[in-house]
Amino acid sequence: MLLPMVVPAVITGFIWSLPGDPASLICPPNICGGTEALARRWNLDGGAVQFFLGWLIDAAKLEFGNSWRLHQGLPVLGLLTAAIPTTLTLILLATVVVVTGGVLAAKGTLPRQADPAIRFIGLVPALVLALLGAAFIELTYGFDSFSSSGQFARLAVGAGVLGIADGAFSGAVLGTRSTFDTENQQRYVGVAILRGELPIENTLPNVAPALIGQMRARIVHLLSGSVIVEVILRIDGLGSLLWGGTLRQDFGVVLAAATLFAVVSSVLLVAQAVLETLVALHVRRSPRIQVRP
Amino acid sequence: MNRSWALIWAGISIGLLMLAAAIAPEHLGTIEPDRVLKSPFEVMPFGTDTRGRSLVDYATQGARVLALPALSAGVLVALFGVLGGLLRCSGSERVNAWIQWVTEIVGALPRMVVILVVALLLPREHRSLFPLAWTWALLAAPGAMDEAAAVAQRLGGSRFVEALRAHGYSASRIFLVHVVGYNLRPVVVRQGAETMMHVAFLEIALSYLALAENQPSFTHADSLKSWADLLKLGYPSLIPSLDYNSGHALVLGLLLLGLVAMSAIAIGRAARAR
Repeated sequence: MLLPMVVPAVITGFIWSLPGDPASLICPPNICGGTEALARRWNLDGGAVQFFLGWLIDAAKLEFGNSWRLHQGLPVLGLLTAAIPTTLTLILLATVVVVTGGVLAAKGTLPRQADPAIRFIGLVPALVLALLGAAFIELTYGFDSFSSSGQFARLAVGAGVLGIADGAFSGAVLGTRSTFDTENQQRYVGVAILRGELPIENTLPNVAPALIGQMRARIVHLLSGSVIVEVILRIDGLGSLLWGGTLRQDFGVVLAAATLFAVVSSVLLVAQAVLETLVALHVRRSPRIQVRP
Repeated sequence: MNRSWALIWAGISIGLLMLAAAIAPEHLGTIEPDRVLKSPFEVMPFGTDTRGRSLVDYATQGARVLALPALSAGVLVALFGVLGGLLRCSGSERVNAWIQWVTEIVGALPRMVVILVVALLLPREHRSLFPLAWTWALLAAPGAMDEAAAVAQRLGGSRFVEALRAHGYSASRIFLVHVVGYNLRPVVVRQGAETMMHVAFLEIALSYLALAENQPSFTHADSLKSWADLLKLGYPSLIPSLDYNSGHALVLGLLLLGLVAMSAIAIGRAARAR
């Protein structure tokens, strides 16, 4: 739960640890003009603690101010609320790809002979796959690529790219398989097989916490990759907003977007804890396993 | 790929990368309008760009942008991994609990978000790949420490050290030779090599994204070209209707990326236990 506070805390520490005037660091005078107004706007003239607390209080009231360079004058909150659904949809669709890989590996549907190919695909960086995806969209939709169907295609292709690139899919397949392989070496699995039970029914509750933890880490990884995919495929999401803010030195947008990413990550941590608790309760309940005749 | 071949491949690829970085020119060659977008068959070895300049300069300058930062990030992660393994061998529960806490916090942060915040706050005159690569290394370090600690734990942790001490081994031999050299080496070297690869991919991604918006890169001076410039130059060739013959630049960019990935794999394999 501390994570959303860690981001502004790290940024505060970073600003005050670098040499020079904090306002000039946030936006150089040759880009933003006078730094006095900037310092007042961000409580930079009162020291690190005042800046940090001011930001936290404003963020708690959902007051993120206005964008001053990326979308001049528009409220940052409005930009965020417009971007969040797109990014969440993208991450959700990409998660489906990753989860599918995990499920196929757990059920043994994907043959082990395919592992070298899966590993190779996992090496491809998101940028390369996103470029191929962008070319595909361009070729398929042409001028219609910004219509509603084109936008959906961008989301679908983006999700596919995110779900496959940078080892997302291969990690899910190989990680899940290796977790089950390790657990299958336990003595109780052999006993379960002798009793006519399916190994997965016995191992799943035991490996579930590890798999949930792996999945959370992969979703955080997807969040990270969404910046590249959204910019290349021109998807107007949170990653695109963060990149635009960084490129144009819009500190307000970057700080708010970065904190929001941290909030999403924090929610994932809570979800992991809840799921792990549910698994523990399920195990405690000792459900009966169907014995094959 | 067996260990010997991996060692040879790793040595050659790192040597090539460093050589390319060392011979990279300060500026691209002169503009030659009569040899615009020539293929590698017409202008050896890699062809030319839209102004008739050799793509060799792009390749070497790109290597110069990322070689040392990527290597330093890899070494940093490997050192953190060694530290994680050694701390587990020390058997201090308080230190290990603290590392666990830091690992969870840092691991929960989306790396690209942190990188972009650092890129935003870095003064324009100090922009280079080094701070971003080191930030990436710091973000990757907890994972490496965790994995190295798990290896040390499987080894027996502090009990393993005590056993070797009972055999009369010196502390340097126990920690440097047996713990790090024989047991942690495969893990920390692989983690370091993967970080090298990720930093190279990060540089190319950041440079490409900046190029796509016609903005200066966070990772290098405007006078230098990154491998992302090759991808940017070659991308229009994917769309036949544009009739842009720059496919050789795209192929070269992809080959260089592949070379980095293969190098990382080779380094990891070369460090495996016999």
